[in-house]
Amino acid sequence: MGDIVQIYNDYKEHADFLTVYVREAHPTDEWQMKSNVKDDVCYAQPKTLEQRVAIAQDFTKHYKFPLPFGIDDMGNAADSAYAAWPERLYVIDETGHVAYRGGMGPFNYKPGEVRDWLARKYGAVKHEPPVTAASSTNAAPPAASTPAPDKAIAPTQPSSTK
Amino acid sequence: MKRLLKWIGGVLALLLLAALGVLCYMAGSPRDAYGMVRYALPHMHRGTLKVGSDAPDARLLALDGTSHFHIRERIGARPLVLVFGSFT
Repeated sequence: MGDIVQIYNDYKEHADFLTVYVREAHPTDEWQMKSNVKDDVCYAQPKTLEQRVAIAQDFTKHYKFPLPFGIDDMGNAADSAYAAWPERLYVIDETGHVAYRGGMGPFNYKPGEVRDWLARKYGAVKHEPPVTAASSTNAAPPAASTPAPDKAIAPTQPSSTK
Repeated sequence: MKRLLKWIGGVLALLLLAALGVLCYMAGSPRDAYGMVRYALPHMHRGTLKVGSDAPDARLLALDGTSHFHIRERIGARPLVLVFGSFT
């Protein structure tokens, strides 16, 4: 998540950001990863919305996560609509259309493509990372453990620059 | 004929073993290979959204655990970067 936090810090004056917490990728009662055991990030798949909220709050506290945050419902409506699990990135343009659709994480979860999209529209921006910013590598499952996802769609060329 | 069938069976078994070996190698362990097949494969090639599609709406719960809002409410004068993920 560190890359996304840096992109947020660089482009929050130009774009809005929203993180959506979806169901866990590697809970203890499904496909738990050794790396999560090592990092003591061990949660069962939430059975209630309250449990989801608790994990989401742990996440934001743990990483001091600064992005605006929402939590998917227990029917996984956002996950279904955006094919989001385990992790995925999108850019929605001002007219409400998908401007960039990233690939399925972790292999094709590529924050750099979002940065490129924003840079084409607003120019390259790179601030020094704040000392308090999350320095975590990734809250998502380790890349080596998940099958190759579908292909990412390249960002569209913005119609104008600002 | 029986001999031919034995050969075909043997070759198929070897191919299956090789495929399992490759899967375990890619995943990191037999356990992860199982996890990949059980949990990740069904999600590959999921979804129909493409660049240019209308962004779907969904109702989300705020981090405070009480208030709700819609993704569509966040779409407006500026592009919206959506980041989907979880803790694990």
